[in-house]
Amino acid sequence: MKPDQVKNSVLNSVRLSLGRRPGDPVAERPPAPPFRKAGNPESEIALFLKEVAALSGSAKRVNEETLESSLEDLVQSEGVKKAVLGRTDDLAGLNLEEKLKALGVEITPQGAGKHALARCDLGITGADFALPETGTLGLLASPDCPRAVSLLPRVHLAVVRPSSFRPDLDRVFLEAMDRRYLVFITGPSRTADIELTVTLGVHGPKSLHVWVV
Amino acid sequence: MSVPPKTISFGKYTKHIPPGIPSAVQKATAKFWTSREARVAELPQWEDLRRAASDIRLHTLRHLDAYLERFTDRFAGAGGRIHWAGDAEAARAAVLGLAAEKNVKTAVKVKSMATEEIGLNRALQSAGVEVWETDLGEFIAQLAGVGPSHIIVPAVHMTKEEIAGLFREKLGVDAPADPTELAAIARKILREKFLAADMGISGANFLVAETGALVTVTNEGNGRMCTTLPNLHVAVVAIDKIVPDWESLAVLLKLLARSATGQKLSAYTSFITGPGRSPDEGGPGEMHLVLLDDGRSRILADPGAIETLKCIRCGCCLNVCPVYKNVGGFAYGWFISGPTGAMFTPQILGAKTGRELPFASTLCGACNDVCPVKIPVSDILLYLRGRVVEGDAVEGPAAPPLIRAGARIGALALGTSWIYRSGAALMRSLLSPFGRDGWLNTLPPPVDRWTRVRPFPLFKSRFRKWWAGRDAAGPAGHAPFENKTRDGGKS
Repeated sequence: MKPDQVKNSVLNSVRLSLGRRPGDPVAERPPAPPFRKAGNPESEIALFLKEVAALSGSAKRVNEETLESSLEDLVQSEGVKKAVLGRTDDLAGLNLEEKLKALGVEITPQGAGKHALARCDLGITGADFALPETGTLGLLASPDCPRAVSLLPRVHLAVVRPSSFRPDLDRVFLEAMDRRYLVFITGPSRTADIELTVTLGVHGPKSLHVWVV
Repeated sequence: MSVPPKTISFGKYTKHIPPGIPSAVQKATAKFWTSREARVAELPQWEDLRRAASDIRLHTLRHLDAYLERFTDRFAGAGGRIHWAGDAEAARAAVLGLAAEKNVKTAVKVKSMATEEIGLNRALQSAGVEVWETDLGEFIAQLAGVGPSHIIVPAVHMTKEEIAGLFREKLGVDAPADPTELAAIARKILREKFLAADMGISGANFLVAETGALVTVTNEGNGRMCTTLPNLHVAVVAIDKIVPDWESLAVLLKLLARSATGQKLSAYTSFITGPGRSPDEGGPGEMHLVLLDDGRSRILADPGAIETLKCIRCGCCLNVCPVYKNVGGFAYGWFISGPTGAMFTPQILGAKTGRELPFASTLCGACNDVCPVKIPVSDILLYLRGRVVEGDAVEGPAAPPLIRAGARIGALALGTSWIYRSGAALMRSLLSPFGRDGWLNTLPPPVDRWTRVRPFPLFKSRFRKWWAGRDAAGPAGHAPFENKTRDGGKS
């Protein structure tokens, strides 16, 4: 059968079963219950940090002054030699690249390809969205921040701005549905596949650091 | 394992359950269930979400043709290619065709029910493609040469010592019996495969008709790897995975991980609309979707069974099922187990092949109570029991002629007053000499299946006699076995 014939045969058997004809109208979709409303900005940030920490991520607030020392701690504790950074607006102005270079970290360009990214110890991204209730980061893909920056390096650092906070999934989806790639990250990569023992970092990053700046 | 079996012998299998399976399975189900309970308690609108999800799923199924058309238009508009597949064979052919066309040597795979359903791994391997399951549990199951024993934790039936032995034998590595070390070994081996693979194969948890997006949910990150790194991404997804729009998706995502593992959300949820836009952005250069019917469109026609397809495959019904918890996943004979498998398999493979599965349930209804999309699982199983006798569109009646003849004779006897009355009188006079204290301890074959496990009560009085006299006994009537005492105390 030609592809179109298969398509029609599947659709026809669906229609036959449902007693519908091509072009029959679709009834209104049943409503969704109300979504979560935002609390005050401070409590939203506090809830978000608490949830990320509960998922074994390391979460904290960082300001312009503490940024440098936090970065130094991270580079030392995680043994970072090579890093890759997104070039997104939320990271611009923090001079992360200069600060990392000053700490002796080699920078891999974000467009260097999957093999080069897989050799990085640290991947730094911003976050287009943050969901406090679940401790979730939402990242869109772009040439400035390819999909693999938050995936292949051993450690993922996400720098979150307060403007990225959204109360619930519905708001994120309204803004992101026309984009080609969105990923939600809720804690570091994990598995419980062997005797139900939770193991972090089975395929994705072994540790996740989230800084609200 | 994933090739459809000719017959499923649930009863035969359950006579010889490997030791260790019930305890391992119960450890997993108890853990998921406890976490699920905690998550549900946090969410006061849980029941509202379930109701909405149930309504949305049923609405989608009832308009599935329109949503499928909308989805495929948008998916193609985003640069993806659709391959329609009426059955498993057509779906395998579509993937094999792509593998041949693109000269694929190595493929990496995310855990996917649809690819288990069509037996894709074996087909690819026969065609000379090296296939790697990348979900840790599924990777272990693949090395062991078995299918998944639980939807969420496929290798839950194996101990860490067994897994370490398997790694030593199949991978030739020195593996200690430690979950963290074993996971690290798998990470190292599979990382190379991810980077080298020519094709990434996935399923999808949802397909969003509104924009043509494909949604995958994983915890390990292997889903992201498979859909991001190889230049060719092929997804095999059944037609019932469609959701109308992103708002519906939000409702279902709130229920899925909480019901499955007791997480608020799984670690990674990817929303992919078409292939990667540019090499800079990353992502596959080509994205293909094999849309699988495989008998689902037939289920849509059946009002007694259509709700089967609301399932979002969270596995929650397994975690509460007293039968599943004692027999594990393999007893169900195909890729999907537990109450949802008992409901799904006979409808796809036929009432004859799956005839034992509708009976693999106590009909206690715990599955109905927890199902996040409110599938009346036990009602559907009961309905399917009827189909085992009466037959279905796939295979015709499954009951042997003798049973059907017996059922006809039974119907005649129960429906004809004089036969029934004389039969009952005969039974009473035949049985009474053998009774002891009102109980019969043994009955002759074939009715001895009752007395093998419990004694059979002798009739204490005649129902008809009691029925005729019940007006005199009082307005509410009395149960026949209470007659004596009640009569004695009557004023």
